[in-house]
Amino acid sequence: MRQTAGTLNRIWLTLLGLVVLVAGIVLLLQASGSLHALLNTARSGNRIVTGDLHAVFAPSWVVAIMLVVGVIIGLLGLLWVITQIPRKNAARTYRLHDDGGEGFTVCEPSVLATAVENQVNTLPGVVTSSALLRGTANAADLTLKVTVNDRTDVQDLIHRIETSTLPDLSRALEAPLQRSRLQIDVSGRTQSTGTVVHSTGTVVQ
Amino acid sequence: MSRRDGRSTRLQHRPSRAVPALIVGILLLAAGVVLVWLTIARLVNGIWPTVLQGPRDWLTSLVWNSPGVWGIGIAAVVVGVILLLCAIIPGGFNALTVNDAGSNPGGKAAPAQEQETVMTRRAVARLAKAQCSQIDGVGSASATATTKRVHLSVQTPLHDTGDLRNRVTDSVRKSLKTAGLNPVPRVTATIQSKG
Repeated sequence: MRQTAGTLNRIWLTLLGLVVLVAGIVLLLQASGSLHALLNTARSGNRIVTGDLHAVFAPSWVVAIMLVVGVIIGLLGLLWVITQIPRKNAARTYRLHDDGGEGFTVCEPSVLATAVENQVNTLPGVVTSSALLRGTANAADLTLKVTVNDRTDVQDLIHRIETSTLPDLSRALEAPLQRSRLQIDVSGRTQSTGTVVHSTGTVVQ
Repeated sequence: MSRRDGRSTRLQHRPSRAVPALIVGILLLAAGVVLVWLTIARLVNGIWPTVLQGPRDWLTSLVWNSPGVWGIGIAAVVVGVILLLCAIIPGGFNALTVNDAGSNPGGKAAPAQEQETVMTRRAVARLAKAQCSQIDGVGSASATATTKRVHLSVQTPLHDTGDLRNRVTDSVRKSLKTAGLNPVPRVTATIQSKG
């Protein structure tokens, strides 16, 4: 139901991984002296810091640049952490009619989602359900999570949702649904209701 | 990426790599905070904090082929490879596709232009376990599910397990097929006699 930052994570992990890997390889080549032979860099026996560090970091503009770099790195890290929070990204208020002088009709998607949940909860075998609407009134996008008990006829449930719930929602919006996503979960509780027929021991010939 | 266009994303997806992303994000945040604190201390006091004295002395004493540089290089290569593996290894899907084509036999138009029906791996495991528990001879059962395989661990009071394994796998496979899983995952079982 909620959306995560999978693509963003893959892109940033790839970029950072490449940068760190290349930096490590360059450092190892320099330490072994191979980079000196290839690109005529400093010899492997030379000191890394040849000048005076005090002089390098003394100017105010160096401090300012380091401050800006620190702020950028910190902000990027903070934004990346915040992005990990799964988001619903639910739809904003649906505008069902907008006829200028005749007024307009609006509807909160959560109202429709609750109606969908109430209808789905009455279907056989459904323990609970959760609906989320995205998109616009003319191109609504329904994500429905239905938890059923372990005796439920899943295909029958899907059929009922597709022939009653979704058309009802579509009629309410007066527009076909753009997307319908249904996630079925099974309750951890073993279904104990139902008719149990005890054996009487009678033999019928 | 977290969607902001108000559209839904697929319910069947691979892991989002949230844990490595959180670790690297927090490290970046920490590095930024330290850098900002050091520079602000430098701007306020006019000198760099004394905490930098140690690293500065260490850095000035280093030569390129010293063990410290080799260690940093090797660590960077290892970290880089780990980050790349985190990004590249796709990981398994969180859910299995359920075929809903047969649920609209009247040939009516589909209720939505794009449809997706899935069952979570946990749901498949619970369904398999419930079906398995109904079979005569099964004492208790537990199940695990991936997108390609469902494995059942069955405990039975029977001394001679006989064809119980086949009965369990056949019954569970039939149940998953009836539920509409497409493709139906391979069902395996281990039988343990408690008798």
